[in-house]
Amino acid sequence: MASADKPINTDVPEKDVFTLHFLQSLSNLRRQNTFNSPEKTNDRVKKIKKAAYVSMARAAGGTNRLWSRALLRRAAKENSKVVRFPRRKKRVTCLRRRRSNRRDPVEEEEAERLRNLVPGGGGMETSKLMEETAHYIKCLSMQVKVMQCLVDGLAPK
Amino acid sequence: MFNKFRREMDVSEKDELRNGDDTTVNYDESANIPPPDWRVSGSNPVSDSYPTENLISSSQMMETLWYDPANVQAVGYGGFNGGGNPSSSSSFRGNIDRSLEMGWSLPNLLPPKGGNGMFLPNASSFLPPSMAQFPADSGFIERAARFSLFSGGSFSDMMNQQQPLGNPESVGLFLQGQCPSSEVNVVGVAHNDASSAMKETNKQNVPGSGNVSEDTQSSGGNGQKGGETSSKGFDSKKRKRNKQNAGADQSNRSQQSEEEPDNNNGGGAEKRNDEQSPNSQGNKTNSGKQQGKQASDPKDGYIHVRARRGQATNSHSLAERVRREKISERMKFLQDLVPGCNKVTGKAVMLDEIINYVQSLQRQVEFLSMKLATVNPQMDFNREGLLAKDALQLRAGTSSATPFPPNMPMVYPPLPHGFMQQTLSCMGRTVSSPLSPPINGGYKRQEANGWEGDLQNVIQINYGAGDVPPDSQAAATDASLPSSNMKVEP
Repeated sequence: MASADKPINTDVPEKDVFTLHFLQSLSNLRRQNTFNSPEKTNDRVKKIKKAAYVSMARAAGGTNRLWSRALLRRAAKENSKVVRFPRRKKRVTCLRRRRSNRRDPVEEEEAERLRNLVPGGGGMETSKLMEETAHYIKCLSMQVKVMQCLVDGLAPK
Repeated sequence: MFNKFRREMDVSEKDELRNGDDTTVNYDESANIPPPDWRVSGSNPVSDSYPTENLISSSQMMETLWYDPANVQAVGYGGFNGGGNPSSSSSFRGNIDRSLEMGWSLPNLLPPKGGNGMFLPNASSFLPPSMAQFPADSGFIERAARFSLFSGGSFSDMMNQQQPLGNPESVGLFLQGQCPSSEVNVVGVAHNDASSAMKETNKQNVPGSGNVSEDTQSSGGNGQKGGETSSKGFDSKKRKRNKQNAGADQSNRSQQSEEEPDNNNGGGAEKRNDEQSPNSQGNKTNSGKQQGKQASDPKDGYIHVRARRGQATNSHSLAERVRREKISERMKFLQDLVPGCNKVTGKAVMLDEIINYVQSLQRQVEFLSMKLATVNPQMDFNREGLLAKDALQLRAGTSSATPFPPNMPMVYPPLPHGFMQQTLSCMGRTVSSPLSPPINGGYKRQEANGWEGDLQNVIQINYGAGDVPPDSQAAATDASLPSSNMKVEP
C-alpha cells in the first residue's frame, strides 16, 4: 500500500518488497548454524523478530526515514557491525538545539511515550515525530500482514 | 539584470519588508514621496531605461501592485500581461496568465494582451492622482495587509522572471479597486468580488495561498495562487508605503520598524523548512496593516507566517502557533491512519490511541514471529515435503482457475521460489495487490518460462488482476530476488 499526503509524504512500498526483505533475512537466519537446532524457542523468536524489524526497516525506505535509520543502527550495534549512513549531522544538531523551543507541556508526556515506542524518536521534534510515527505505523502494519501471510502459508489449517 | 534588480530591491529597503534574503522585495525608503513616475518610485537607478530594462520595470510594476491593494488578484495581472516579453521566461508569463484566467471573473475586462501595451501608458498618468486617493479606511488597510500574503515561491518566480510589464501604472490602476476612476469600472467589479472574499481570510502563509484562491474565487494551481498572492503582497506593500508617504500612519511604521529588528533577529536565526520564521512581518499591527515577507521557500527554507487577527504578535507565539498547527495537521493524518480514531477528539486521547495502536502492532509482530518460530521450528526451507504441501495447498486454493501445468514446476525450483509462490498466493488471498511484475521480472531471470507462467497464473488467479501495473518497486525486488536466490541455493 502506498499513499501520499501532501505535504507529508508517507509512501510505503508495496507488500512484495517487505516480503522479499523478510524472506531474505529469514533465509539468512536459516543459514546460521546455530539456528537449526535451537532448543530455546526464545532465542529463535528474538532472532526472527529482529530479522523482521530489520527487514522492515530496509524495505521501508532504507535510510531515508529516521526511524528506519535508528533501527538499523541499533541492530548493527548489537551485531557489532559498522554501519554507515549518509549522516546529516547538521540537521541532528539543529534538532537538538531547537528541541528546547518546541516543548508544549500538554502533549509532551504523550510525545515522550511515543518517542519510546518509535525507534529513533528520541532526537525528534514533535511534528517530525508524528510524521515518523505515521510512516512507522504504515510499515508496521505492512510487515504484520506479510508475517501473517507467511504464518498462514506455513501452517495452514 | 535580475541580479541587479534584486540588489535594487535590497538597497531600497524599507523597514516593513524584511528579509535577509535576496529574493525578498525591499521597497525603497525613498518611496515616501509618491512617485509621479512609477518607474522611479524606488528611486531605482536601474529604472532608467524603461523599455529595455524589462526586469526592472516588471519589478517596479510589482511595486505598483503592492501599492494598490485594491483587488489585486485578477486585476493586477491584467496589467502584467499586457506587454509581451520576448525574453521573458515562459513560467512567469504562465503565472501571470494563469492568474489572469483565475482572477478575471469578467474575461472581457481584461484588455487584450496586445492592447495592454497601449492601455498601460494611458493609465500611467492616472497613477499619481489615484495614489493620492488612497483611502485610509481600515478595510483598505486590511486588504493591503492581506495582499501582502503571498507565497514566497511564486513571488520569487515573479521576481525572477523578466517580463516587459508595460506601464506599471496601469497595473496600479488595475489594482485600485476602490479607485472611482471610470476606466477601472470593470476592475472595480472584479475588485468587489475579491475584496469581499479577502476580508474573510486571515491565515498563515501556507494556508495563505489557499486564502488567495479563496479570495480570488477561482480555482487555480499554486502558481496562480502564488502569483496572485505575490501581486497582492506587492500591492499591500505599496499601499502601505503610499499611506505612509501620505503620513497616514506613522505610528504603524514606527511600530513596524521596531518589529523589524525583532524580525531580523529571528530571521537571522537559521531555520528549517518546517519551522516558522519568527519574522513578524506577518504580525498584524494595530492598524491591521501587514507586511508579508516573501522568500521562496525552496530557496531559503523559510516559511512566513502571518499573525491572525486578535492574536498575539510575539514572534515566539507565532512560532508556537505554527508548530501547533503543524502538529495538529499531522495528528489528523495519523487519525486517518489509525483505525477507529475518527470519533476521538482531542490531542491527548488521540495520542493515547496512537500509542496503543503502535504498541499493538509491535506486539503483533512479536507474536507472529513467535508463531513463525514454532510453526516452522527448523526454518527448514529445503524440505520438499513442505514444498509439496504448499503446492497442494496452493493448488487447492487456485483450483478454480487455470490448472497448473502438469510438470508442477513449483516443486522443482529451489525452495524460495516455491515458498515465495505460496506466500504470494497467501497474500493474494488476503490482500489484493499487484505483486507479479517485480516477481515476474526476477523470476524471468532465474527460472524457466514455465515457472514464470505458472507463477503468473497463480498470481492472476489470486488477485484477479488481468494486468498488473508496473511497479516502481520492480527494480528493487528484481535486485533483491536474484540475491535471495543465490543465497538460498545450497
